[in-house]
Amino acid sequence: MEDQITRITSRLVVPFIQVYGIYIILHGHLSPGGSFSGGAIFGASLVLVALSFNLEAGSKQIPHNAASVLESGGALGYLITGLVAIALGGYYLSNKAAGFPMGEAGSLFSAGAIFIITLFVGIKVASTIATLFYYIIEGEK
Amino acid sequence: MGFSEHFPALIVVVLFFTAFISPLLYRWARKLAAPAVIAALLAALAMVVVLLIQVQQFGIYYYHMGGWPPPWGIEFKADPLRLYILVVLISVSLWIFIYALRDLGHELKTRVIGWYYTLYSVLVGSMAGIALTNDLFNLFVLMEICAISACAIISIKEDRECLEASFKYLILSAMGTGCFLLGVVMLYMVTGYLNYSFLYQALVEAFDFYPLNIFTAAALFIVAFGTKAALFPLHVWLPDAHASAPSPSSAMLSGLVIKIYAFALFLMFYEVFPRVVLEAVPLSEIVLWLAALGAMFGSIYAMIQTDLKKMLAYSSIAQIAYIFMGIGLHHSLALVGGFYHIMVHAVTKAMLFMVAGVIIYSTGVRRIDQLTGIGKVLPVTMVAFTIGSASMVGIPGTGGLISKWYLALSALEIGRPIFVLVILASSLLNAIYYMPIVINAFMHQDEFKKEVKPVPGIMQLSMVVGMVFIIIFGFFSKPVVTLLEQAAALFF
Amino acid sequence: METLQGIVDNYYYMVAIILFVIGMYTMLTHSNMIKKVIAMNIMDASVFLMFVAVGYAHGSQAPIIRDNVEIIYANPLPGALILTGIVVAVSVTAYALSLVVKIYRYYDTCDYDEICEMRSKE
Repeated sequence: MEDQITRITSRLVVPFIQVYGIYIILHGHLSPGGSFSGGAIFGASLVLVALSFNLEAGSKQIPHNAASVLESGGALGYLITGLVAIALGGYYLSNKAAGFPMGEAGSLFSAGAIFIITLFVGIKVASTIATLFYYIIEGEK
Repeated sequence: MGFSEHFPALIVVVLFFTAFISPLLYRWARKLAAPAVIAALLAALAMVVVLLIQVQQFGIYYYHMGGWPPPWGIEFKADPLRLYILVVLISVSLWIFIYALRDLGHELKTRVIGWYYTLYSVLVGSMAGIALTNDLFNLFVLMEICAISACAIISIKEDRECLEASFKYLILSAMGTGCFLLGVVMLYMVTGYLNYSFLYQALVEAFDFYPLNIFTAAALFIVAFGTKAALFPLHVWLPDAHASAPSPSSAMLSGLVIKIYAFALFLMFYEVFPRVVLEAVPLSEIVLWLAALGAMFGSIYAMIQTDLKKMLAYSSIAQIAYIFMGIGLHHSLALVGGFYHIMVHAVTKAMLFMVAGVIIYSTGVRRIDQLTGIGKVLPVTMVAFTIGSASMVGIPGTGGLISKWYLALSALEIGRPIFVLVILASSLLNAIYYMPIVINAFMHQDEFKKEVKPVPGIMQLSMVVGMVFIIIFGFFSKPVVTLLEQAAALFF
Repeated sequence: METLQGIVDNYYYMVAIILFVIGMYTMLTHSNMIKKVIAMNIMDASVFLMFVAVGYAHGSQAPIIRDNVEIIYANPLPGALILTGIVVAVSVTAYALSLVVKIYRYYDTCDYDEICEMRSKE
C-alpha cells in the first residue's frame, strides 16, 4: 500500500505518538497510565509505520535482532530489579524497604524501584507489540 | 533462615530468568542454551528440597512479595503438600527436558528450538507459581501464562493438526480462565480479599449473607479447573492437543499440566472454601461422580482408538479422574492416594509418551495395529511400555497399585464401596487396551516389517530412569506416603 | 418489587453477566474462528467490567491524594488488577489471532466447520 496522504500524515504524527508514549511510560508512577499503556502507544506507532509505508521500512526501524534483545532485556531487567532488592536486604521486589532512593513524591525521579520497573516493562511491551505484529504479518519467513 | 527465606520467590524467578535469557543464548551462544535450562531446573529442584527440609523442621512458611503483608501483597506459601508437588513437577520436567534434547531436533525446525526452551521454562515456572501462590489473582495470571505456554508448545510444531488442536485448547482454556476470574470477582465482591487464608475466614461470615455468590463462585471454579484439568465431560480438547503435540510436549502436558490444575482445584476446596460451604452444597460429590464417570469413559474411549498417542491421551482422562476422586472423597487416605497418583501418573504417562516418541522417531509408526512384533526390534522401549502399562493397570510391584490401594481403602472406610468397584472396573478396562499392545509386541510371530533407526542413548536412558522409578514407587512407597499422611492430617 | 429495584440499582452487574453469557455462547457455538476470538474478548471484557464495578462506590472519585482533603474514593485495587487482566487478554488474543492466520494459510478459510469437512474428505 503506497498512499501519499497516509504516508505524510503518519510521518507527521509518529514522532508525537512516540514522545507521548515515552511520556506516559516515564510518568507511570505519577499519573494514570504507565508501562503497559505507554508501551502499547509506542508499539502502535511502530505498527503505524509498517502499515503506512511498507514492511521493510518498518522492519528497518526495529530490526529483529534488536527487538528480541529489547524484549528479553525488558523482562530480564524486571527480574533483576527484583533480585537487586534481595541483594540489598529486602524481599523480592521490595522497594523502600530495600533502600531504593524514593525521591520526593510527585517529582519525576521518585518512587524508587517502581520507576525502574515501569521503564523496563515499557520497553518490553513496546517491542513485544511490534514483534508480534511483524510475526503475524510475515508468518513463515 | 538466612538466604533460604527467599527461595519460594527464587524458584519461580530462576525459571523465568532462564526463559528470557535462552532466546538470546540460542542466537549467540547456541551450545549454552540447553545447559542453562538444565542448570535452572537443577537450581530450582535444589531450592525446593532445601525448603522441604526446612518446612518439615520449622513448619509452614510464608513469603511476602516486596515485603507487603497480606491481604495487600502477594503471598507465597511453602507447606509440605505444595513442596511435594513442586518436587514432582520440577524433577519430572527436568527428566522430560533431557529426553527432549534429542527428540526436538527430529520434530521441530532448528530455528524455533530456542523458543521452545523459553516456552518450556515459562511453563515450568508458571506451574511452580500456581503451586506456590496463596493469592487468587496471582493464580489467575499464572494460569493464563501456563495456558498460553502450554498451547504454544503444541503449536510450535507448525503442522495442521497441531495448530487446530492448540486453537481448540486455547479457546476452551480461555473459557476456563474467564469463568475462574468471574468466580474470583464473586468472592471479592462479598469479602474484599483475594488471599486464600483471609478468604477462608471471611467466607464463613459472608456465607450467612451472600450464599448465592459463593455457590456461583464454586460452580464457576469447578467448570474452570475441570476444563483445564480435563475432568470428564469437559475433556474434549485433550485428545487432539496431547496426541498431535511433539512427544516431549505431550509428556509435559499429560504428565504435569493437567495435574497442576487438579491441585489448584484441591486448594480451592480445602484452603479457600470453608467447610460450611462444602457441606451446604454437594460440591465434592459432583466432582466425585464426574471423576467416576471419567474413569470409565476415558478408558472406553481409549479402547476404540487406533492411534497410539491418542490412546495414551484418552487414558490420561481416565487417570486424572483418580486424582479428582482423591479430592472428592474427602478423606485423608483418599488424599494420600490422589496425591501419590499425581507422582506415579506424572512419571508413568511421561514415560509412555516418551516410548511413543521413540517409536515414532525410530520407525515412524503411530498406528497401534502396526506395532506387532516391535518388541523384538526395540526391546528396551517395549519393556518400558510394558512396565508403564502395568503401572497404569495397577499390577503389584508398580506405583499404580499404591495409589489405587489407598483410594479403595478410603472408599471402604467412609462406607462407599461403589467407588472401589469403579476403580476395579477402570483398572480392568485399562488392562483391556494396554495389554494387547504388549502381547502383540512380544509374542506375535509376525516380524516387524518397517525400517528401524537406532535409538539414541539418551532417549533409552530416560526410559530406563522412568522404569526404575515406577518400580521404586511400587516397592518403597513408605517415605512419600508418610510425608503425604502428615500433610493430609493438616486438613482433617 | 425489591428484587426489581435491586436489579435496577445494580444494572452494571446485570450488563456484565449478559455480556459474559453472550461471549461464552458465541465462543462455543460459532464456527468462525475470528468470531470466537472476538467473543473471547467480549467475555473477558465483561468480567473486567464487573470487577471494576465492584470497586466503585456511588459518588466516589479517583483514588489520588491531593492536599489532604478527605474524599470518598473508588477502590483502586480492582483497577490495578484489571489492568493486569487486560494485558493478559491482549496476549491471549494476539496468540489466538496468530494461530488463526496460520490455520488460514493451510485451509484458506476461517470457518471451523469447513475445516472439519475438508479434513473428513482426506
